[in-house]
Amino acid sequence: MKTYGGTSSSRTRERVGIADFAVTADGAVLTTSGLGSCLGIGLRDGSAGVAGLVHVMLPTAPEDPPNAAKYADTGIGAVLNAMYAEGASSGRVRAKLVGGSAMFEFDSQDEPIGERNVAVTRATLDRLGIPVDAEDVGGDSGRSIRFHGDTGDLRIKSAGTERRI
Amino acid sequence: MRVDIQSLGTYNRLAQEGAEHAAASLTQMTGIETYVDVTNVTLMSKRDVEDVFGGTAFVGVQIGVGGGLSGETALAFDRESAASIVDVLVPGATAGDDDEFDDMARSGISEIGNIMMGGFVDGWADYLSTNVDMTPPTYVERDGTDVLPEGALARAKEEHVFVFESQMTAVDEEIDAYIYMLPEYGTFAEMLEASDDHDDAIPMDKLTVFDEMTRQGAERAAENVSSMTGIETDVDVSRLSFVPIEDVPNTTRDEVYLGTVMEFKGTPGGYLAILFDEPSARTIVDATVPMELDEPLGDMGESAIQEMGNIMTSGFIDGWANVLQTSIDHTPPELVHDLGTAILSPIAGRLGQSQEYAFLMDSTVVTPEGALNCEIYAIPDEQKLKEALDALLVERSDQLEANRESLF
Repeated sequence: MKTYGGTSSSRTRERVGIADFAVTADGAVLTTSGLGSCLGIGLRDGSAGVAGLVHVMLPTAPEDPPNAAKYADTGIGAVLNAMYAEGASSGRVRAKLVGGSAMFEFDSQDEPIGERNVAVTRATLDRLGIPVDAEDVGGDSGRSIRFHGDTGDLRIKSAGTERRI
Repeated sequence: MRVDIQSLGTYNRLAQEGAEHAAASLTQMTGIETYVDVTNVTLMSKRDVEDVFGGTAFVGVQIGVGGGLSGETALAFDRESAASIVDVLVPGATAGDDDEFDDMARSGISEIGNIMMGGFVDGWADYLSTNVDMTPPTYVERDGTDVLPEGALARAKEEHVFVFESQMTAVDEEIDAYIYMLPEYGTFAEMLEASDDHDDAIPMDKLTVFDEMTRQGAERAAENVSSMTGIETDVDVSRLSFVPIEDVPNTTRDEVYLGTVMEFKGTPGGYLAILFDEPSARTIVDATVPMELDEPLGDMGESAIQEMGNIMTSGFIDGWANVLQTSIDHTPPELVHDLGTAILSPIAGRLGQSQEYAFLMDSTVVTPEGALNCEIYAIPDEQKLKEALDALLVERSDQLEANRESLF
């Protein structure tokens, strides 16, 4: 799912759908709502002022996936490439993770999707040498987030409460 | 005829691609940032078509396509959305909510419609590597099913029709646009037809039975609501659609729901979610709990919703078991109170491990006054659905009619 809009300089807020990502080089706020077992991965190179957000649904991609942003292992690569194209540098990118909850009993035993999304994401980031600055994962509630491209501030709304990481 | 799931998936991608072109055109023309919400292909009976389109005033264009794929398309805005678009495109034109759209407004809508549909059709033509001819746009301003291409309803009466539907939504404004594409049944069926030995094929006639089963399940669930609450209810929409698995969570609105979710096991396996938006949950609680409860709904309110979810679930399952003549095992319905997308995401995730697309059966239970809106989503496991359909004798569809009589 792609969002179409004016030029990036006039945009202040960009919505990221499921299995979708967005990148900003001018401090836009990247938002995604209704993260349940899905995971939101916010990435940012503060010195270059480039940030990206990807909303992944599943941990591991099959071979040659039609949509890389649907999976944690390939989605991170997809958003990083777009960030590098905007001037981010691989040694400076840092990450924040939000989501990966277990909403239901039937998704709590037997390898919950959310937990696996978090595990594969951590492993992928670790392999790429990207440090995780903060995370708000697990639990049994959905989350909506706003990731501020200019500051790296990440605001979370979940079950009637608000917090920031 | 058997339907090849792979090619149904390909056409869905095409419609998605086309809709994204159309949304981009809309943004370019108006500066309003838009995105494609959902693209699905739905198999609709006449009654489904009437339910989906009935009661809404649409403004838009109709365009016929021929060549690689023949059929009819319509681009529709609901009336308020059309008025907002006109305000941006042709300032000074009259397109208020109560006013007639004047000539300038009409030509603005025709123009944007033509451009959006041009984008949509280009996507298809590219894929089919052939020319797709478009007829000039016809401006339409109609109610309900009249916005559909001529003859669509009559065809749906004879046999189910495939409807491709894409919904485009503006990011910051209340604007919704829809593209409907109704391929000519014969050509489309030929394109979809799978050879008999194809593993991935689903028999068309059985799929229509499943569609009917969903309606029956929803009607029984609605009946249970009525008997619990004394509120008169009706099934407003019930349809079977085919969507990319990642679009499943987006089929709910972007708001908080209360309801129950359970996993059904065996054949067919899958998930059932029964979701009330918060005002509807309040209506249910007020009707079933004999005392004043605090705002927002606390434990007592939630337990009333849990109870309602249990009862609706058992009604729905009875409807299915009745057609399949088998018992259906399921986990206890679990109470949930969260954003719609968050609720459906683990379901999409679990199914998404083994399938790219989902058959989504969604029904809406409403009251005539609109005080209640309950969305029911049944999402079967694709493999299990195939097994269930294989086991289902088509003659049962006749019996289904008989059963309907005895049930309701």
